[in-house]
Amino acid sequence: MKALRTLFVSAAAVGLLATAAQAQDKTIKIGALFPMSGPGSYFGAQDKQGVELALEQLNKAGVNGYKFVVQYEDSSCSPLPATQAAKRLIEQFKPDVIIGEECSDATLAVMPVVEQAKVPLLNAGSSSIKVTEPGNPWTFRIMPNEVMQGINLAENASKRMKAETAVLLFENTNAGIGNAQVFKENFTKQGGKVLAEIGFGRDVNDFTAIATRVAGLGKVDVIPTYTLEGQGLKITQALAQAGVTKGGGGNAIQIGTIWLPFGFEQKAGKAALGYIRIVQFDPTDTRDVAKNFASAFKAKYNAEPTHLNAHAYDQIMLIADVVKRGGKDAQSIRDGLAATKGYSGVTGSVEFDKTNQNTKMDTIHYMETKPDMSWTSLKWN
Amino acid sequence: MSDPALAQPLPGQRATLRSRWLAYALAIAVIVILPFVFTDTYWRTNLTVCAINVLLAIGLDFILGYAGQLNLGHSAFYGLGAYVSTLLIVKLGIPFWIAFVAGVAFAGIAGTFLSLFAVRLRGHYLAIASLGFAVIVHQILLNWISLTQGPLGIYGIAPPPAIIIGGVVIADFRNLAAFFYLVAGFAFLSYILLNQLVRSPIGETLTAIREDEVSAASLGINGAAWKVFAFGVGSAVAGAAGCFYASFVGTLVPDAFFVSEAFNILAMVIVGGMGTLIGPVFGAILLTVLPEVLRGFGDLRLVVYGAALTFVVLFMPGGLAQAARVVAEKLGLRRSA
Amino acid sequence: MTTTIVLQQAINGVVLGSLYVLVALGLTLIYGVLVQINFAHADFVTLGAFAAYFFMHLVGGGYILSIAVAFAVGAALGWLINAAIFTPLRRKGNELLPLIATIGVSVMMQNLMLAWFGPIPYAFETQYSSEVIRFAGIFVSWQSVIIIIVSILTIALLYAFMKFTFLGKALRAVAQDRETAGLMGINPNYLIMLTFVIASALAGMGGAMLAPVLVLTPFAGTSVIVKAFAIVIIGGFGNVEGTILAGLIVGLIESYTTQFLDPGLIDIVVFALLLVMLAIKPTGLISERREENV
Repeated sequence: MKALRTLFVSAAAVGLLATAAQAQDKTIKIGALFPMSGPGSYFGAQDKQGVELALEQLNKAGVNGYKFVVQYEDSSCSPLPATQAAKRLIEQFKPDVIIGEECSDATLAVMPVVEQAKVPLLNAGSSSIKVTEPGNPWTFRIMPNEVMQGINLAENASKRMKAETAVLLFENTNAGIGNAQVFKENFTKQGGKVLAEIGFGRDVNDFTAIATRVAGLGKVDVIPTYTLEGQGLKITQALAQAGVTKGGGGNAIQIGTIWLPFGFEQKAGKAALGYIRIVQFDPTDTRDVAKNFASAFKAKYNAEPTHLNAHAYDQIMLIADVVKRGGKDAQSIRDGLAATKGYSGVTGSVEFDKTNQNTKMDTIHYMETKPDMSWTSLKWN
Repeated sequence: MSDPALAQPLPGQRATLRSRWLAYALAIAVIVILPFVFTDTYWRTNLTVCAINVLLAIGLDFILGYAGQLNLGHSAFYGLGAYVSTLLIVKLGIPFWIAFVAGVAFAGIAGTFLSLFAVRLRGHYLAIASLGFAVIVHQILLNWISLTQGPLGIYGIAPPPAIIIGGVVIADFRNLAAFFYLVAGFAFLSYILLNQLVRSPIGETLTAIREDEVSAASLGINGAAWKVFAFGVGSAVAGAAGCFYASFVGTLVPDAFFVSEAFNILAMVIVGGMGTLIGPVFGAILLTVLPEVLRGFGDLRLVVYGAALTFVVLFMPGGLAQAARVVAEKLGLRRSA
Repeated sequence: MTTTIVLQQAINGVVLGSLYVLVALGLTLIYGVLVQINFAHADFVTLGAFAAYFFMHLVGGGYILSIAVAFAVGAALGWLINAAIFTPLRRKGNELLPLIATIGVSVMMQNLMLAWFGPIPYAFETQYSSEVIRFAGIFVSWQSVIIIIVSILTIALLYAFMKFTFLGKALRAVAQDRETAGLMGINPNYLIMLTFVIASALAGMGGAMLAPVLVLTPFAGTSVIVKAFAIVIIGGFGNVEGTILAGLIVGLIESYTTQFLDPGLIDIVVFALLLVMLAIKPTGLISERREENV
């Protein structure tokens, strides 16, 4: 009798273990399209850090019995390489969901490919309105688009900062031009005046001439600046040298959106004083989810996280949340994403409207640079 | 120079003629079979990109290797073909094939203009002039936003319309295999055209000019006119490649035609073997496939690319064509000249 | 107000021009003696900048010393490229092949630097880059002053070297007529190597001077190189005075185009000028060399 019982129990135990082991074999495949080569590789490297941190945390216990596996493909921030990378990813890795790209041009080129393959694309880096405006059921964006940011920024510039005049400085790319246009439209609607719109190529190194031109325009209240870190640094310094901005003894304040991470001030020095900008990741955020992320990131990489790290982390974590709610393949993950409500990520809350754009305004954080080069959060949202 | 009095081809020439037709038949067979070997969208995309690059490479080889013109700005004609045809279709609703011809013609005319302008320049001066031209074209594409959309890009460019004869769909170009056949077929025809030009008296004239322009002039050859002609033909071919590129990728941004693209095409010609026409075909295929195959290397794959270019120039300046010849000699398939 | 702006932009233009001259001088030297274009020249500049950066940040050296380090790195690289590429190819006598080989070297260098240094821009700050001199409504950073001073010194030294030293005269002899120079007992190969080393050393040093001004990534050189070529041609291939003049003109064009038109048009204006020059006076603004076939 006892022997039979032991046999029965052992068999059951083995059976349970076997099922458990099989359950542990279930994976969610995430494809990652990031620029890894060329000038955009700056983004890819940081995205990868965020992804790896999220994977490390998730795969300790898995979610609903699923583990997460990521395959990276280099999309080079450009349409043709991005479509080739996407096709390769879909053919060979067969992901359940894809995250990426960073650059609007590449994202727009990739969207038809993923739509045809019926794999959801979760984007967190492209600001062009064209990514979601047409309403693609397979493309989701958690980052506020250029229209959301531009309208909000223009309003705040006019109402809270009491700005009357502005000079636009932007890089000659899709994102730069798009953002500048939105600001201009909305600022003028509020009664503001745009004194000049100065676009420049990505190969410009010296901004003294541009700063001089701005200095000659008279009273400038705000200078919306849309450019990446490398050129942004030079612009801020040049504007201070020309005595235009607060950091150089002038009165103008640079304002901008998301493109300059924390750490920029340390490189720019006094010139960055008073810079007000929208960021996607607020390092002074007191919410638990943000604080835990920041400390985990610091522990793993020994550096302060940037918004790129935070975005990538949020993308993976959101997917994990969808899996927790029952997503397990491309179609169910797509539906799960669309149904997201009340989700709180490191960069803010997530809820998608019918064009699959995240419309939660708490993803727009305003920060101001203090004299000691630290950030203070201006709780405008 | 062949004697026009000899109407009949010599026995040796007849043999080469036969082997050439054999080679053409083989090429057609390979083109037809390829989409059946590579059935996934990723590799089929690569095949079409190869075909586009072959077009670019043979056009440049005609200018560079046969007419001896140092053209460092081939990307300009590529871009002009792409933008002119696309803008005609998107803004004026002009049918694809008419826009195609317009794009090719525009690129060819641009090449003719550059050549006319640079007709007195030699060597390095022409090189920098052509480079300057490519920079200007790129900048115009980038800055004339009201016309070209600049960096905002043009999206949703449709593939060529399907060919329907009597209600039956012969070719639907949304199908990747069909598109590949279209471009590869066009590249094949262009190759035959250029090859015939090269073997004709025109080709001999170009060789004479390339080798010694002064002596050629003493024979009454108008070097300038022929150089301009060669430039026009080569750039028209690049324009065709541009038209195909736009309708294939569906997205058009000026940065696809940045001057570094001209260097890529140059690399294909050199690695393949300048002045052989068949060499650049393989150079183009190799340098299109190599970065894809080396994807696992990450950043280092472009280092390999640069290394390949440098080492070919240093150790085997005749490129793949020279390598093939050496191998053929060693195997006894060919007597060394 | 407008006179101040015009004056300020003139100063900006001169500073920018000096920057370009530092890069273009090496190119023109090489062309003058070797009749060769080194496409990797700008990457020497970038490498010099990185060498200076790492010297300051890893070894903790001072800025002025880092300029010397960059100079040495440039020299070493120049010697290497000449020995590995130009010398073997010179025997083949083709003018295109070395150009293409240097394109290959340029691609290799840029991507090796990308692999080693990464794509994130390095902030090269020195005590001179943020300090500004102000007078009469004009401002100039100390870094700019240093650039101008060093450019002038370099040009003066180069000039003196070419005109007054034996080596300098020998270089000019080789530039004018290599065969005859050889007959006179001058070893052209040695001199060619010397030219290359000096030109590349200048490039490296230029990199260290430019580093605080450039957006320092492995691609920093590309933003400068094409314009540098334009300057060399506008000024006259192989001609030092022409290069200086052309460099300053291009710098001024840049600042005034930015002021009165749009920064996006700079390249168009500069290269249109290049094409115009090639059309009416291909030998450049000041041509010392008499070319038989231009």
